Amino acid sequence: MAAFGSFCLLIGLALAAYNLLAGALALRLLATGQPARISPERLADTARRAGIAGFIAVTGAAFALVWSVFTNDFSITYIVEHSNRALPIAYKFAALWSGQEGSLLLWAWLLGTYGFVLRLRHKTDVKLYAYAGTILAGIQVFFLLLLNFAAPPFSLLKGAIPDDGNGLNPLLQYPEMVIHPPMLYLGYVGFSVPFAFALGALMMRYPGEKWIRITRTWTMVTWLFLTCGIFLGMHWAYAVLGWGGYWGWDPVENASFMPWLTGTAFLHSVMMQERKGMMKSWNVWLIFSTFLLTLLGTLLTRAGLVSSVHAFAQSSIGTWFIVFMAIVIAVCIFAYVYQRGHLKTEHQLESLVSRESSFLFNNLVLLTACFVILWGTLFPILSEYVEGSKVTVGAPFYNRVAVPIGLFLLFLTGVGPLLPWRSTSLRAIKRNFVLPVIALWAMVIVCLVAGANPWKGGMFDSGRFYALVAFALSAAVTTAIVAEFLRGATVIARQTGRNLFAALWLLTRRNTRRYGGYLVHIGVVIVVVGLAGSAFNRNLESELGMHGSMSIGPYTLVNNSFTQDTNDNYNSEYAVLDVYKGGKNVFQMTPEKRFYLASGQPQTMVAIHSTPEWDLYVVYEGTNPDTGQPIIKAFLNPLVGWIWFGLAVIVLGTFVALVPSLTPATAALRVPAARGVQAEPVLKGGD
Amino acid sequence: MTEMQGLIAGMLLLFALVVYTFWPENAFASQKEKTRLDYLLERKEQLYENLRDLNFEYRAGKYPEEDFQAQRALLEHETAQLLAEIERMQA
Amino acid sequence: MRSRAFGFWTRVVEATVLAVAIFFSIGATDASSRFDNLGHRLMCTCGCAQLLGECNHVGCPESGRMRNELTAAIASGLSDQQILDGFAAKYGATVLAAPPAKGFDLVAWIAPFAVFLAALLGTTLLIIFWVRSDKKMQMAAVRGLAEADPAEEERLRRIRRETSEEGN
Repeated sequence: MAAFGSFCLLIGLALAAYNLLAGALALRLLATGQPARISPERLADTARRAGIAGFIAVTGAAFALVWSVFTNDFSITYIVEHSNRALPIAYKFAALWSGQEGSLLLWAWLLGTYGFVLRLRHKTDVKLYAYAGTILAGIQVFFLLLLNFAAPPFSLLKGAIPDDGNGLNPLLQYPEMVIHPPMLYLGYVGFSVPFAFALGALMMRYPGEKWIRITRTWTMVTWLFLTCGIFLGMHWAYAVLGWGGYWGWDPVENASFMPWLTGTAFLHSVMMQERKGMMKSWNVWLIFSTFLLTLLGTLLTRAGLVSSVHAFAQSSIGTWFIVFMAIVIAVCIFAYVYQRGHLKTEHQLESLVSRESSFLFNNLVLLTACFVILWGTLFPILSEYVEGSKVTVGAPFYNRVAVPIGLFLLFLTGVGPLLPWRSTSLRAIKRNFVLPVIALWAMVIVCLVAGANPWKGGMFDSGRFYALVAFALSAAVTTAIVAEFLRGATVIARQTGRNLFAALWLLTRRNTRRYGGYLVHIGVVIVVVGLAGSAFNRNLESELGMHGSMSIGPYTLVNNSFTQDTNDNYNSEYAVLDVYKGGKNVFQMTPEKRFYLASGQPQTMVAIHSTPEWDLYVVYEGTNPDTGQPIIKAFLNPLVGWIWFGLAVIVLGTFVALVPSLTPATAALRVPAARGVQAEPVLKGGD
Repeated sequence: MTEMQGLIAGMLLLFALVVYTFWPENAFASQKEKTRLDYLLERKEQLYENLRDLNFEYRAGKYPEEDFQAQRALLEHETAQLLAEIERMQA
Repeated sequence: MRSRAFGFWTRVVEATVLAVAIFFSIGATDASSRFDNLGHRLMCTCGCAQLLGECNHVGCPESGRMRNELTAAIASGLSDQQILDGFAAKYGATVLAAPPAKGFDLVAWIAPFAVFLAALLGTTLLIIFWVRSDKKMQMAAVRGLAEADPAEEERLRRIRRETSEEGN
């Protein structure tokens, strides 16, 4: 199977290279109109089909690797290093992306899949799709070069074939790990598609902004995958790493967050281009940067440029990435400089307080946040270069610098929707701000009364202060968005005589993009509330003998028993804790510690009891070597559940935004005697 | 699967994919150049959309009267010029 | 009218500033939370890349000892800065979870805010510039509105008809 896999990769590379070269040649011939022996359109179509065939070849290679994992083919180095016989089936899939070679293969396969769908749908706009397909082929050539020459997944083990493999990293043996990396990769890889469309549209001087509408679905689906990937990663960190938190500002986390920020900025500012033909150059560069940041993220984590807890696979492919990024930058700059005349803005901004300008500020904040994270991630390298000594840029730095910026963004999340498109004076919309401001101060008072004040042990605590600001802003933003829904629904209710709920439903269906987007904003607010809760985390560590107890918040934990267990994959130690609340036994928790046999590594299995108010999070830290009794660490983390619930709302909102809007019935279609006879040919025109 | 079998399977796949790629297919999609008219019709759709939106936001109470009138007049004027060009091209 | 809107916002800003000032001015030091505070400003040096206050993996060779050192340092009455300096001298600058705000490392702290302010200023100026130049364009467009021939008027009517009543 190794031979088949390697062969497939080689075929894939050849086909991708053909797709790139033939596609580029055909487009060149078409653009210049030079006579050629073969019809350029025919040539372009073979290029397209080579792309589809290349996808099948890469699928063959991916299948070969899956097959090898499942048949325990330990003649392949990669399988020895990332799997073992006793590994449960679901985690055999996880073995595919736990190492560098496998991740790159997954990357190439996902890119192939996106490209496959794109090439099947080419009739939407043959020429634009031909450009995009050719650019995607260029990216695919890079990844297949890596897979064939720098990081071959099917390289054979030298020497004797072992009986069993080294097993999968125990940190990765967790349900989320089966879906988190593919999600994240789907997000990372997916940005290649809008990138290819934007670059293609620029190269061919695509008339109009229709390409944005064509790529919108791609961008949103990609954005959704990246968002889900990041949140699943947070949940994984929360449930597996056992330190009671979910975001440690680790370089790997930062690497996934940066393209998310620029991607989000792109999703917003591209609306201005679609509606008014503004900010064309800006948008082009936003998507270029997003794509480059996905590459940089991979470079940072894979090439070991910065140290991180979970850079699971490192090697020397850094140079390849740097060269590829340089090529991409060169191509982007060249295309931009050569074609920039095409990107002239048609309209300009009409007012400082219109929604357009709030989009500008939104972009400003998102990009500043991205810069801050990039800066913090790269500063240790810079500092080492300048001063000769390394420094750590960790959580305290980001908390102090990024949190205020994030709060400003939250503010914009609420203000943006209140502002209308085009010009307006502040006066007209002033009353729309009254309710949110009342909600803001009401929330401040509620928080202070409830004890969520910014002091901790008599000391001013900036984290708690920011949390208070976040709660207050969240109340204001939610009020603003809900009011916005109601204002729209009232208009429809007045027009159609429907009740408010029916009107809300119709309103959303008429403009799914806008109201789906608002729903996403509400989801973000819910997430922020959950994040702010972390300022009030409490924890307690205690050695618990048989029937010993500890109390945290309203809960009392009593050690019922502690015991050991063993199976093929791991040995485990765990405690059975009865949890009492108000004197009643409410539930049981079993925090666990595992020792994986194949890799010889320990792993914490955290017990979490989640309620909307807080999570009770219990870690089995090990046993005290002197007394043989278990050490239990308990955390009371307020509002964590809101983060995952907020994600659900974000997903829902994105799905709503993906549904096509009901086309508003135009007067010409609706009013029968509107003398629309002359209008008809114009409305339908184009042939 | 032995190495030999793997190579044979790979060869078969290669053959199939090459045949698929280079099969003389005459029904390939032609790359129609987007016409000025297509572009104008797209623009018209967008401007209509913007106007409907302006009306809706006005009714939702986001514009003072005179501001709305001015904005609508401008947008309608722009759309009318566009329609004129479309009519000329279709004539 | 403009001035009244302005006054409203001035009051909002004033209230906010006042609230922030009150929050910052109150507050005393309490020795009991110093361990927690300092524990979150130091890194565990075992290579786990976690904050000392949060490093929890079993058999960590460093965190237990480092925590004891921290407890001892607090008990001996050193100031926060002295404790941090002591740790940095012993374990190297990487033990500090964030770079100190002095020397070249100050750049790490200044750059984000400098970039943010510069971008904010730039964006605001850009918008003001755009609004100004667009006013001129609008004036020109409005002048064009007057000269409407019958065909143009018919088109305008049609547009109004097709867009003003959004479907029911």
